[in-house]
Amino acid sequence: MWFSFYAIFRKELLHLRRDPSTVRLVLFVPLIQLWLFGSIDQTVHDVATVVVDQDRSTESRLFIDGLKASRTFKVIALTTSPEEARSEIRSGHARVAVVIPPRFHGQRVRPEPAQILVLIDGSDSTLSAQALASVNGLVSARNLPWNATVGPSIAVQPVILFNPEGRTANYIIPGLISVLLMTVGLALAAGSIVVERERGTFEQLLVTPIHPVGLVLGKLAPYLGLGLLEMAIVLLAMRFGFQVPIRGSIFLLFAMAILYLMPLFAMGLLISTRATTQMESMQISQSLMLPSVLLSGYIFPFESLPLFLKALGSLLPTTYMIRIMRGIILRDATLMDLLPDVAVLGGMCVVMVLAAARSIRKVAQ
Amino acid sequence: MTADATELAIRVSAVTRRFGTFEALRDVTMDVPTGTIFGLLGPNGSGKSTLIRILCGLLAPSSGSAEVLGLNVATQGEEIRRRIGYVSQKFSLYEGLTVRENLEFFGRVYRLPAKRLRERFDTVVALTHIGPYVDRRAGVLSGGWKQRLALGAALLHEPRVLFLDEPTAGIDPVARRELWDLLFELAGRGVTFFVTTHYMDEAERCGRVGYIFNSKLLVTGTPESLKELPQISPPDARRIDIETHQPPRALMWLRTRPYCQSATIFGQSVHAVVSRDVTDERIVFELRQAGFLVAKVQGIRASLEDVFVKLTEDAANQQAAGA
Repeated sequence: MWFSFYAIFRKELLHLRRDPSTVRLVLFVPLIQLWLFGSIDQTVHDVATVVVDQDRSTESRLFIDGLKASRTFKVIALTTSPEEARSEIRSGHARVAVVIPPRFHGQRVRPEPAQILVLIDGSDSTLSAQALASVNGLVSARNLPWNATVGPSIAVQPVILFNPEGRTANYIIPGLISVLLMTVGLALAAGSIVVERERGTFEQLLVTPIHPVGLVLGKLAPYLGLGLLEMAIVLLAMRFGFQVPIRGSIFLLFAMAILYLMPLFAMGLLISTRATTQMESMQISQSLMLPSVLLSGYIFPFESLPLFLKALGSLLPTTYMIRIMRGIILRDATLMDLLPDVAVLGGMCVVMVLAAARSIRKVAQ
Repeated sequence: MTADATELAIRVSAVTRRFGTFEALRDVTMDVPTGTIFGLLGPNGSGKSTLIRILCGLLAPSSGSAEVLGLNVATQGEEIRRRIGYVSQKFSLYEGLTVRENLEFFGRVYRLPAKRLRERFDTVVALTHIGPYVDRRAGVLSGGWKQRLALGAALLHEPRVLFLDEPTAGIDPVARRELWDLLFELAGRGVTFFVTTHYMDEAERCGRVGYIFNSKLLVTGTPESLKELPQISPPDARRIDIETHQPPRALMWLRTRPYCQSATIFGQSVHAVVSRDVTDERIVFELRQAGFLVAKVQGIRASLEDVFVKLTEDAANQQAAGA
C-alpha cells in the first residue's frame, strides 16, 4: 500500500510542477480575493451630489461648505433649479441632490424652523441609506447650538426617488442581468473556437472553403439569441415575480444588451483563439468573471471602491452595463441620459471586435 | 494551361518552408499525375504534414512554388480548397452530431445546393456503405467507420484531389483493407490521392511513392523503380533470405563476414545484402560450419522497407559527415 501511495504521490507532484496554472489558481487567486475583499470599504464616499441653492446666502453657503468638507459627498454641480437636479439624478450623473429653499437664511436668523430637501437616488439602497444618514449628521451638527437653547432647528426632508421602499430586488436584479449576460457572452464565446481546436474539427474546417467571418458569425448568432432569451426571462421574472417596475424603454434595454454582448463575444473569441485547451479558456474567462461581479458596482456600490479598484472596474464592460440597466429600469433614463456610459461601452465594443478579428485572421492561417 | 499541366494533379517545384530558423521542407520538387494514388512516407516530424498544409493552401511556401489542379497554392488557396478533400489522422468530424448531420453540415460548408446535397448524400452513403449508421452519433462509431465517414464527408463535393493524412492509423486490418479498396475504386474514376502512411504494405499499394526524411524529399517513383535504385540493389550485390533456427545469432555471425554488406532479421529469417561473387552454396556451407541449422537460402527482391531503411541510413550518414 505504501509503495502505491509513494508512486502516486511522486507522480502527482510531477503533474503539479508541470502545470503551474493549477498551483497559481490555488495559491494566488485566494490572495487576490483576500486583498480585494479586505480593501473594499463598505462605507460610501464621494457620492456625486448636486446642490440646489435657492437661497444664495451666507447661511446656505455655510451649509454647502459643510457638505463639501464631508468625505461622503462630492459636489459636482451647483444650480438653482430643482428640475435640473432631478434630471442629473435620473441620468445617473448624480446620486443625491440637496435643495436649500429660498428664505433659508431668513428662517435661520429669525430663528424659525427651516427645511432642507434631500433627493436621493434610491436605486442603490445601501448608498441611499448612508447618504441620508450622512446629511442628517451634517444637519444635527449645525443644529447643536440651537438645541442647547431649545431653539428651532433645521429639518431634513428626504425624498427617495425611484425605489422609495428601498427594496434590494430593485437594485440587484438589473445588475444581475448584466452579470448573467456576461456569463453567457464570455463563457460561450470563449469555448467556441478552442473546443473545435481541441477536438481537431477546426483543422477540418480550415481545409474547407469556409469563410472566417461566416464561421464566427454563425457561431455567435445562437449565443446572441440565447443571451437575449435569458434576459427576457429574467426581465419577466423581475417584473412579475419580484414586482420591480420597468420604467424605461424595453426596446432600449434589448438594444443595450446587444451592444454589451458584442465586446463580450469579442473578448471570448480572443480568449478562444489564444487558449490551447478548453480548461485554459475556462480559467481565463472565470478570472474575468469574478472582478466583473465584485468591481462593477453589482454587489458593492462602485462609489465605495478604493481608487485602484475603481480604475480596474472602469475597464470592465459590466460596470457600464450595470449603470445602464439600472438607469433604464429604475429611473427611466433615456439614451441621451446614458450617453457617457453608452459611449464607453461602444468604444470597448469597437476595440474588442477589432482585436478579435485580428486574432481570428491569424488563427485561420 | 499546357497539355502537361492537365495531366498533373499536383506539381511542386523547389518548395522550401521555414519556421523561424527551422527548415520544415527543403527544396522539395515532385509531381503527381491525375488519377494516381501517391503515398508519402517518412518519419514523424520529417515534413509530411507541412507539405500537405502547403498543398491545401493553408501555409505559403517560403520559396518555390506549388500548384494543385493548376491553381497556385500561395494565391488561390480558397479555390483549391473548394476542389479538394482532406481526411486527417485524428477523427475530426463532430462526434456529437449524427452521421447524417455531419454529412449535411459539410455539404453546406462546401456550398452544395439542397437538391444536389441530397443526391451527393445518397451517393456517398452508398459508396461508403455507411447506410445502417446514418442516424447514429459519430462519436459512437468504431475507428474504421469513423474514417469512412470522414472520407465520405471529404467526398461530398466531388473533389478531384483527396489528401489523406495517415487515414488508417489505429484502425484494424480488415477496415484498412476495405478503405484501400474504396480508394482504388475512386482512383479508377480519376480522383487523385495524396496519402501519408507508416505502413509499408500500404506504400506497396500506391501507384507512386515518395520518401521524405529530415525535411528533404529523398526519392519519388513507383515502388518497383525505387527497389531498382542502384543504392538499394547495387549491380555488384544481391539480396538473400536465410531461414535458420537462430536468426539473432545468425545475424551477428553474418555481420562479421567480409562479403556481407548489411543484414537484418525478418521473422524466422535473416535478410542480407551480399556480394554477387558469393554463391548461396558457399554461404550455406559456412553457416553449417559455424554450427547453424540452415533450412533454406534463396535470392529475394528488395522490399520498400529495405528501400526506406537504406535511404534513411545513407541520409543520416551523409548528415553526420556534413556536420
